[in-house]
Amino acid sequence: MLTNASLMELVRAGRRDEAIVQLLPAYRRKVFGLAYSLLRDREAAEDVTQEVFIKVWRALPAFDGRASMSTWIYTIARNASLSALRARRPQSSLSDAEVMDAVESSNPLPSADVLVERAAILRLVDQLPTKQRQVIMLFYMQEQSHEEVAAMLAMPVGTVKTLLHRARARLSACAGKMSATA
Amino acid sequence: MSTPDSELDKHLAALFGGLDTRADFDVRLVARLRAESQTEATERGKRARQQELTRHRRAVLELQSRRRLTLRLLALDALGMSLPLMVAVIAAWSRFGGDVMDISRQYGPYIAMSLAALVAAVPLLGMWREQTRSPIRLF
Repeated sequence: MLTNASLMELVRAGRRDEAIVQLLPAYRRKVFGLAYSLLRDREAAEDVTQEVFIKVWRALPAFDGRASMSTWIYTIARNASLSALRARRPQSSLSDAEVMDAVESSNPLPSADVLVERAAILRLVDQLPTKQRQVIMLFYMQEQSHEEVAAMLAMPVGTVKTLLHRARARLSACAGKMSATA
Repeated sequence: MSTPDSELDKHLAALFGGLDTRADFDVRLVARLRAESQTEATERGKRARQQELTRHRRAVLELQSRRRLTLRLLALDALGMSLPLMVAVIAAWSRFGGDVMDISRQYGPYIAMSLAALVAAVPLLGMWREQTRSPIRLF
């Protein structure tokens, strides 16, 4: 794991590319998750993730190590995602084929019933309020760590827990209604 | 569809747990960083050249301005010197012989004025040369 000190050493030595390559494994998925949870478009989220790392690369010489690396990167990622969200068309939805393709390519292949159920849950997640949707997506992306999600969204852990609880309650209720009408 | 909490957890983990960027993400990013790096180096070079040009231009202007100031001071100095010189020449003229005195009475003021004009003209010529000189080329 790259520490602030070793990172600053690399930057001072003019090896910013190397610093980014070392940052990638730790932050790529997190930054992507953060962007995806807000943008709900995989392609756009990847573009934002690339932009974030380029911004980090550009700003590395100015990074003084006073804030933690993760806080700094998450702030850049949140701002870049919000800018991208403002700039793009509003009709994207989580229920795109790409997420389901990823689910369908999992091993072992889920049954058709399970796939249908997951597609329905994906639609339900898509309809959640933004904060709840972000918390749900990031929580299950980030190995169910409240602390990590709180750091990524710059929220207190308690707020994350509350949002998660509400989102899950809402999803359970909606899923229950759907199964009752089915 | 029955979805108790553990089932919901399982579905959500399956939906979002494996989400990641495409496999070529790192390669694309490194390629973009290389391009950015080159652009940045070119930009840095351009900026440095521009700064150097500005600095050089400023130095040349300062040098020209100093030269003009020096010449102006010299011109004033020469004019100031020519006046007492003229007075001194006229005063010294009376010590010479009768012929010289006659000539001096006739031509003394003209000689003194010509001498003063000559002394004053040298720095003025220098100033004129400075004003009409072609601009200093940087490259």
